[in-house]
Amino acid sequence: MGIFKRLSWFFKQEKKSYLLGIVSLVIVAILQLIPPRIIGIVVDEIETASITQLSLTTWLAILASTAVLQYVLRYIWRVRIWGNAAKLEQIVRKQLFDHFTNMDNQFFQKYRTGDLMAHATNDLRGLRMVAGGGILTLADAISVGLTTLLAMLFIVDWRLTLIAIIPLPLLAVTSRVLGKKLHLRFRDAQAAFSHLNDKVQESIQGIKVIKTFGQEKEDIEEFSKQTDNVVAKNKAVYKIDSLFDPAITFIMGISYFLTIFIGGLLISGNEITIGDFVTFINYIGMLVWPMFAIGRLFNIIERGSASYDRIETLLREETAIEERHGAIDHPITGDLSFKLESFSYPEDEVETLRDIDFRLNAGGTLGIVGKTGAGKTTILKLLLREYDAYKGKIEYGGYDIRDYTLDALLKQVGYVPQDNYLFSDTIRENIRFADPGLSQEAVEAAAKLADIHQDILELPNGYDTEVGERGVSLSGGQKQRISIARAILINPELMILDDSLSAVDAQTEETILSGLKDIRQGQTTIIAAHRISSVMHAEEIIVIDEGSIIERGTHKSLLQQNGWYKDMYEQQQLERALKGGEA
Amino acid sequence: MEQQELNKRRSIPFREQMQIIRRILSYASPYKNQFLLAILFSVALAVTNAALPRIIQIFIDDHLTTGTVATQTILLFAGLHFGVTIIRMTVWYFELYIFNMASEKTVQNIRHQLFSKLHDLGMRFFDQTSTGWIITRATNDTEAMKDFWHVFLTIIQGVFGVFISLGAMFLLDVTVTLWILIFAPVLLVIIRFYQVYSSRTYGEMKSKLSLLNTKLAETINGMSVIKQFRQEKRLQKEFEETNKAYYDSRYSMVKINALLLSPVINMLYTLSVVLILAIFGINALTSPIEVGIIYAFTSYANDFFRPLTRLMDSLSLFQDGVISSSRILTVMDNEEYVPEQAENADAHITTGKIEFKDVSFSYDDEHNVLNNISFTVNPGETIALVGHTGSGKSSIINVLMRFYDFQQGEVLIDGKSIREFPMRELRQRTGLVLQDSFLFYGTIKDNIRLMNKAITDREIIEAARFVQADRFIEELPGQYDAKVVERGASFSSGQKQLISFASTIVRDPKILILDEATANIDTETESLIQEGLERMRRGRTTVAIAHRLSTIRDADQILVLDKGHIIERGTHDELIDRGGSYKGMYELQNIGLQT
Repeated sequence: MGIFKRLSWFFKQEKKSYLLGIVSLVIVAILQLIPPRIIGIVVDEIETASITQLSLTTWLAILASTAVLQYVLRYIWRVRIWGNAAKLEQIVRKQLFDHFTNMDNQFFQKYRTGDLMAHATNDLRGLRMVAGGGILTLADAISVGLTTLLAMLFIVDWRLTLIAIIPLPLLAVTSRVLGKKLHLRFRDAQAAFSHLNDKVQESIQGIKVIKTFGQEKEDIEEFSKQTDNVVAKNKAVYKIDSLFDPAITFIMGISYFLTIFIGGLLISGNEITIGDFVTFINYIGMLVWPMFAIGRLFNIIERGSASYDRIETLLREETAIEERHGAIDHPITGDLSFKLESFSYPEDEVETLRDIDFRLNAGGTLGIVGKTGAGKTTILKLLLREYDAYKGKIEYGGYDIRDYTLDALLKQVGYVPQDNYLFSDTIRENIRFADPGLSQEAVEAAAKLADIHQDILELPNGYDTEVGERGVSLSGGQKQRISIARAILINPELMILDDSLSAVDAQTEETILSGLKDIRQGQTTIIAAHRISSVMHAEEIIVIDEGSIIERGTHKSLLQQNGWYKDMYEQQQLERALKGGEA
Repeated sequence: MEQQELNKRRSIPFREQMQIIRRILSYASPYKNQFLLAILFSVALAVTNAALPRIIQIFIDDHLTTGTVATQTILLFAGLHFGVTIIRMTVWYFELYIFNMASEKTVQNIRHQLFSKLHDLGMRFFDQTSTGWIITRATNDTEAMKDFWHVFLTIIQGVFGVFISLGAMFLLDVTVTLWILIFAPVLLVIIRFYQVYSSRTYGEMKSKLSLLNTKLAETINGMSVIKQFRQEKRLQKEFEETNKAYYDSRYSMVKINALLLSPVINMLYTLSVVLILAIFGINALTSPIEVGIIYAFTSYANDFFRPLTRLMDSLSLFQDGVISSSRILTVMDNEEYVPEQAENADAHITTGKIEFKDVSFSYDDEHNVLNNISFTVNPGETIALVGHTGSGKSSIINVLMRFYDFQQGEVLIDGKSIREFPMRELRQRTGLVLQDSFLFYGTIKDNIRLMNKAITDREIIEAARFVQADRFIEELPGQYDAKVVERGASFSSGQKQLISFASTIVRDPKILILDEATANIDTETESLIQEGLERMRRGRTTVAIAHRLSTIRDADQILVLDKGHIIERGTHDELIDRGGSYKGMYELQNIGLQT
């Protein structure tokens, strides 16, 4: 029941609505008692031949009006209670979404997309069940159960009632026990299904490998093993699931047995009338649902409260990246000074970066090269304030970057990441992602600079072409160039290209870099790359290996140093030529 | 293909729906007996259901109304009622269990056939269809079949329930039953109304939910971009709009259900009771009647109306089922099969000589990507394919691997047409090393063995040693039994390459086809890979899309491709001597080095 207390903020907020729903529910519970009673009365009047036209008309009029009134009230409580449940889901979903967007990188490393999605779908459903089914069951079980019981006790016969309801608590126990068992087995079945999913995913993604090795038959066999497992797990589910209705039937059967037996004796002894008996049988049937629902209620609450626990755990997570009180809010400008003593990723003991020290004057270009995993991207991540905990100081225009507001810093940085994530939207919206208000001209200008304009025009719907999951699939190079256009469009004070030209050919790379040079007079650029040709024109180039700078200088001076840089340059020149200029 | 799918959501014409249902039902035919048994139980259930009120009616009319009743008689009726209840309970359990199991087996059957079908399809299908689309067909759409089958059960139960309670009423009193039938047209109107409104709203709700979840997943995946461009607020606002839209459609669904589902059925039931009491009451005004019959009729009226709520509720699931079925059938109907081999193909690859004679090939039957390609690779020799993207290098491999069928010319292995070899022989005697090595979930051993049970652990270790993958594998916890997570994420691309080398070499292929990786490989493994490639080539006929200088220089023959034509051919030295475009490229880079 604790879950109701924890959700009390919502119940309070929707107080009126819930009140209206529950009052309707209670009235319906009372109204429900009328038809069986009227049937009983009419039966008795016919039996004793005391029926008159007037009495019949009166009873039928009352019956018809309860039918209509019940309809109206049922409509009201359904809309109120189920509507509120949907509303709770909406509110918590918004809380989750807003929270996700406020979280830092660490959060997304801790929780994988699949987990977060599961919380935002399954756990919200669990919560919706509490606010809908839970409240309904609680109110219904109490009102219907109680009123029916009272009616049986006082209107019909208390002795018959006390005996007939003996088996009913079994209903609650059964639904609770079976429900719990079913839940466990169902979880196994879900897990089996998700393994099956993984299997299919792998087979399809690795289809070329399977075909290459001619292992189709074996793969189908493995798949069959998985489906066998799914069937076996579901079999266990069905064994329990198919028990619910028969179990209710059985328990009610005992109750009917007692009712017929004791009721028959009472009628025989003229203690109750046949009409009472008919009324009573109908009332007994009405107790099935509330009793059963009580058992179910426990399960709903249990699952709902586990769901809410998980959601609250997520909502309690905090971001390590926070703006300082009174942070500088004028946009960054000036020189960049990077003086890092050391940095390790959170919960990682290995030092990822050590003694990285460089200065980049406003308007200058810095090149960062090194092999994969050397630490190039980490340097950039610190600049982007994805991590704030490091030894040393990074200053922009003489102030620590951690002293700026995030807007002041990030809105001036155009970062083009390695993995070019595009959203399922049109190309236009992807390019003007930072500001959907920008004009088509501005979008095109940026696209031209990124040398992607022509490619876009050749697509079926030009700038309106949808990309991503449902749209056209673009080549890696095209995606890279769209991400570059996206960054160019904000005219950033600092532009960062993080190996963002790896999938375009040398000529395009040349075009883009010289185009950028032309329009970005006086603005600062950092280019990290595996390919030397991307950085060779920079004023300073640093070579990173295992988290430290091992060589630094201009292209010319680095070639003279006869080190890693020179080796790499020669090797790349050679291979590129033989591949016919292809990347 | 996906686009078509979206349009289908709107509406499928009735005749097509019937056709789809008929076809999808055919997958249930192996389990016909189980289904029939379940249906039989269903009938029995409805019959016991009708018997119970009848027992009470007879008890009332024949015994209770006649004055004092013997305790034995009372006990007899109570026992009779209980006995029928026990039968009802048993019948019900088996009905549910047998039906559920039969539908589960049917789904398994569909899955099995779908999956086998996928493996019969050629690379063209996989190149054209997104992975996500295929996976959803094989898992979610087949899973949806269970709900679909359950709809059938609900319909069967409902129909029998309704008709048998009607029949029971007829047996009691024909006139009253006919009167009750005036509710039938009202019910039909309500069902129709509900179907029209609910299916529209339900479809809308579902598509909004999927939009909502897509947005959520996208935001999580693209979070770093969002943060980088400081678009959190805007996306929050956009998401809230979608969230609100979903809430709105869910709310309309709640309203439609409240308006047209159980409350209205409940009202109709009570009104039918009014009718029953009115008829019997009016009759009773003139002559005495039996009262038990009134009880029985009100009971049957309840049985008549009750199944309708569930029946109506499952209508939306029915639509879902038809849509999922039609998607499954699109895959089953796909005819992009694996290229066919000759019927009695039984040739064996012995020496591994490869000849291309005037081969032309096109993916779309319009634009040739290979034009009159001819070359010969003698057993044990290496040929290197050089050229830009789109020059036709990969297409040569696609043709040689029989991923695609070629249109003109001849491809010969050991002097026999490639079509004369059974597919299995081709696959087992040719080893293709892919650019991106794909690892499966499992262990290192599993990934080298790749489901071929004939390969022993010893052979695996030898293969790993041969390509020098043994060094890093033996450092792993569990060594050859070390876990490989999804897509081999915990290994570097170089390590993955080495593992895939081992899985190729363990099969000891006669012909080696290399699609060399262009991706940056960590320098530690680079030299191992280079050496591994050299060792693998020894004694094997090799066709390589070459990116590595060493591979190119060592080749016995280099083909320079451009737009599907061979523009130059020869050894490295010959090509340099000839002074063509190969030499041009080579010299260009030499000058570059001197500056």
